[in-house]
Amino acid sequence: MTIRTDRRKFLMGSSALAAAGAFGVMPSWAQAQSLRLIFWGGQGRADRTYGVTDLYKEASDTDVAGEFLAWNDYWAKLATQTAGGNAPDVIQMDYRFIVEYAQRGAIAPLDEYVGSALKLDDFDADQLEGGKVDGKLYGISLGANSVATLINTGAFEEAGIEPPTNAWTYDDLFEIGEAFNSANIRGGMKAISDSSYNEPSLDNWLRQRGKALYTAEGQLGFDETDAVEWYQLWAKLREAGVCVAPDDQALDTGPLETTMLVTGRAALMPSNSNQLVGYQALVQDKLDMCGYPRIAEGQGGGHYRKPSMFFSVAGSSASKEGAAEFLNFFVNDIEAGKILGVERGIPCAAAVRDAVAPTLDEANQIALNFVANLGDLLGDLPPPPPAAAGEVDLSLIRTLGQEVGFGAKTPEQAGAELVTGATDILNRA
Amino acid sequence: MTARSLESGAPLGERAATSSLWTRIWQNDAPGYLFLLPWFIGFFGLTIGPIITSFYLSFTDFDLLTSPEWVGANNYIRMFTNDPKFWASMRVTMMFVIFSVPLKLAFALGVAMLLNRGMRGLPLYRALFYLPSLLGASVAIAILWRQIFARDGLVNDFLSIFGIVGPSWISTPQYSLWTIIILAVWQFGSPMIIFLAGLRQIPQDMYEAASLDGASRWRQFIKITLPLLTPVVFFNAIIQTIEAFKSFTPAFIISGGTGNPINSTLFYTLYLYQEAFGFFRMGYASALAWVLLALVGMFTAFSFLTSKYWVHYDE
Repeated sequence: MTIRTDRRKFLMGSSALAAAGAFGVMPSWAQAQSLRLIFWGGQGRADRTYGVTDLYKEASDTDVAGEFLAWNDYWAKLATQTAGGNAPDVIQMDYRFIVEYAQRGAIAPLDEYVGSALKLDDFDADQLEGGKVDGKLYGISLGANSVATLINTGAFEEAGIEPPTNAWTYDDLFEIGEAFNSANIRGGMKAISDSSYNEPSLDNWLRQRGKALYTAEGQLGFDETDAVEWYQLWAKLREAGVCVAPDDQALDTGPLETTMLVTGRAALMPSNSNQLVGYQALVQDKLDMCGYPRIAEGQGGGHYRKPSMFFSVAGSSASKEGAAEFLNFFVNDIEAGKILGVERGIPCAAAVRDAVAPTLDEANQIALNFVANLGDLLGDLPPPPPAAAGEVDLSLIRTLGQEVGFGAKTPEQAGAELVTGATDILNRA
Repeated sequence: MTARSLESGAPLGERAATSSLWTRIWQNDAPGYLFLLPWFIGFFGLTIGPIITSFYLSFTDFDLLTSPEWVGANNYIRMFTNDPKFWASMRVTMMFVIFSVPLKLAFALGVAMLLNRGMRGLPLYRALFYLPSLLGASVAIAILWRQIFARDGLVNDFLSIFGIVGPSWISTPQYSLWTIIILAVWQFGSPMIIFLAGLRQIPQDMYEAASLDGASRWRQFIKITLPLLTPVVFFNAIIQTIEAFKSFTPAFIISGGTGNPINSTLFYTLYLYQEAFGFFRMGYASALAWVLLALVGMFTAFSFLTSKYWVHYDE
């Protein structure tokens, strides 16, 4: 301890250091125009997105700093940033959450930019409508998609079974299941994953019965009879060995690589049309898609063209107009459209769609054709689900389906519990 | 200080004493506090502050996007009277604590005693046995665990030698928690290191004397090793119990954050996480966190109170 520094000198030195630090970061604030962007997705989506932000930097000298997370982590991070007043300017938004964020002012209405910064003349009307809350435009759809059953065509060929088409029904599913059991390929591959606790499958089945998961008022759109019948249907499918065993199905924890389609335990799996591209990258056999099964021959209306996701602008953003200009580029620029493909769904701007279609690879073509040719499967877009829908899905639909699968509950008990439990959660939220 | 003493006309001596005290504090201690400042800022800003805030939030409804709304003790009342998932998750965590802690300690002690025989290459073995604790609850381990305990995994391959067809252990409700308990026991490294240090402290002449008197190895273990090791056992038990109550990552990764199958791996902490970041009920989640703190505190206090009956310190 022989070195001594005069205290005053030390303080001056350290404050100079602090000041230098502060000035050091100044230039990045002072830059002409910069935006922050946050989205959920995997590396493939990120590569496409950053391809477009690079293009935008060349075109407009605006820096868009992106950040991406997996779906499960995304909403925690976004809510935390929003609560801290630090939300990114451009936010990828889901149909499930748009009402909640809009009503709390966390995202901004974009109507004042339409016609100037945002040109939406040839934008699909139904997709535009889907981004509205209380009559105001809060989200620009990045693509239309629909639920779809993914088909492992290689497995069907090997088993010598005709793959299903848009016309197929739940009765056909029983037949396909029996055919797979007698073919016994690939170590006892089953026809379909256990979809009894797949929320979109239940939604689709209810819509064909003229019901819905939720009403426009955010209440439950079905009753106990429906729920019991749903669980009974899947109990029969399980018993007949049409779907995979419950302890196999429970290995699916969400990520693509844990699903029954990728692990090769089932030849069919309910999913979304835009996800074919992602799954094809993980499966050796060629994949195809068709609609969800019909409850009876010729019964349609279960499907709908859903905005797969939106871009919204944060309510706290200091450069809303700049963000709107970026959104405009993202959905309307032809070159941007070619980079994005249909990975986020079918482009909603007609000019982009026409320019992009011929450039697509096979998997993207299949998705495009499927959504364009839904025919009588297509029904109306349902109202956005209530805020607590996520909790109903995680706490009830997934758990109850499993409980019936493992024999811990009868379909009757599970059906009753789904209705009372969901009503409880909806009233609490 | 100086101004006041001038006004009141205090004697010169007192003034000098006061100022010299202050000078001394300033000269001697101020740099110390200055260097501590970053830690203080972190401690108050990032630890104490959030703890107090979470206590306040536990009496509110708070969804992160709108301001907290005071609801009194409603969160706590709901938890104990009207939340089956609270009890389900409590049961899972309790099972985990009750089984994983003793098993892990027994395993750690056993390995420590094997390693305490003065064998060659001891540092290597110590490092190898410690390795699983370092790997911790990483994604890679979770995937490895799924490979081992799935239907066509390593365990069932082994069982099939004896003609037993095992289920998919990790995704069957009756067994899934046990695969996570085994994962915890496998990570026995840090208590083992502490046991090893404790075993070294036991004087060899005691064992020699016991051998001369004809005591068997088991008797030596019961009468010498265990009693002299009780302070270390006590320490390890407390630390591991707290760790077990806090356990989150293995279940989160293995079940993909769902606690499935059928909530059989819905740890208390996982439920807390779901409420907070899945359903955005920060108030309720804060209340859950405080109940966990109280529970861990009670367990620890109970351990300390009973310790005087079974922990033997050197007099």
